Amino acid sequence: MNLGVIDYGASNIFSVARALKSLGANVSIVDDPIKFKGIDKLVFPGQGSMGSCVRKLKEKEMMNPLLEGIKSKPFLGICLGLQILFESSEESEEQGLGLIDGCITRITDLQNENLKIPHMGWNNIKFQKDHELFEGIADKQFFYFVHSFIASQSGTSITTTNYGEEFVSSLALENIFATQFHPEKSGKLGLKFLNNFINWKV
Amino acid sequence: MSLAIRIIPCLDVRGGRVVKGINFKDIVDAGDPAEAARRYDDEGADEICMLDIDASFEERSTTIETVKSIASQVFIPFTVGGGIKSLDDIDMLLKSGADKVSINTSAILNPDLIVEASKEYGSQCIVLAIDAKRTGESWNVYTHGGKNKTDLNAVEWAKQGQNFGAGEILMTSMDKDGTKSGFDNDLYCELSKKLSIPVIASGGAGELFHLVDAVKSGKADALLAASIFHYEEISIKKVKEALQNEGFEVRL
Repeated sequence: MNLGVIDYGASNIFSVARALKSLGANVSIVDDPIKFKGIDKLVFPGQGSMGSCVRKLKEKEMMNPLLEGIKSKPFLGICLGLQILFESSEESEEQGLGLIDGCITRITDLQNENLKIPHMGWNNIKFQKDHELFEGIADKQFFYFVHSFIASQSGTSITTTNYGEEFVSSLALENIFATQFHPEKSGKLGLKFLNNFINWKV
Repeated sequence: MSLAIRIIPCLDVRGGRVVKGINFKDIVDAGDPAEAARRYDDEGADEICMLDIDASFEERSTTIETVKSIASQVFIPFTVGGGIKSLDDIDMLLKSGADKVSINTSAILNPDLIVEASKEYGSQCIVLAIDAKRTGESWNVYTHGGKNKTDLNAVEWAKQGQNFGAGEILMTSMDKDGTKSGFDNDLYCELSKKLSIPVIASGGAGELFHLVDAVKSGKADALLAASIFHYEEISIKKVKEALQNEGFEVRL
């Protein structure tokens, strides 16, 4: 099985690739439309802003093969890789992929708790639904987050997390799974989650 | 809902080995960095920090190798500091597996480095490290691993660093470092009043209650310590349990 890690030129692909390799996965870096060939599962690790991510994907002519891949293969989006699935984001004028309805918004400090933004550090995730990618992981465990924008509650939520307001910390839609947290930086439970993705049969 | 208080074991590294000193002097060997990092990850560390304590040009390649070997075995956030002078240095460390870089002396000599680095890589990966020593009611900033005194006020400098784009402040009290007599909570309390970015307290951990006090009285967001964890005097789990007993959020 070949795992393709998308590299559009600005994300932390190395730590994601290292974590997957440590679990015995066969990992290739996909930084060119041709390299989507022969890939069985896709991982999209994102960092930075949605605008520059979409622009870079377009420049590299990776937008169409990526969309095709997301529609046909098991897909894991991480951080920006979750946000880009939505229609739009307050962060940029570029449109997202529009596979999930809704807009990505800036974290709002609803209770005036003097929250530090970005939301950076360990926070817990609460199950809203069961999902096989969380097999062996208990409710309310801590995962590592670094972000300033969020997806609000939607029908696709698997877990939610509270920081200023309740937001979607992971979601699933058929063969698509996405996390706002970074499993590659979440210690043993993060590795457990990634291992579940490697073994995931949609 | 607040974030978990982070416990960060620090590896002071020289020439590819972990070392430990007292008040920045009297250095002794304390083992292999990757092995120590892996053990800390197993024990529940929330991040790992590696400081190259006398990084020089000749030793840069050793540092890169050490960073790579730690990053290949540890899957929690990993900060590297020591001798970082340019965007190229930062780029190299991030590519070798660091998630964040900690900048100390160079930020004082060239504050633009913080501005440019946070623009290029994001504030979340730029940590401003400060070595401070008390003079009366305030604290002075020292550079070059605590060797040179400056006229900078540590709290003011931290505030400036935040404005320049640093995402966190790692403040080491030189008066307390290695003494095991408790953290300089006045300093951290002062910082937390003035800053909106997280403060990592460092220097002085000796007893369990010291660590709890740094969060309770010092309002620290994260605690960094070296020898107590290295020599297994206090376990990371014990620290977290003690914090939890006081009502703080921790990742257990």
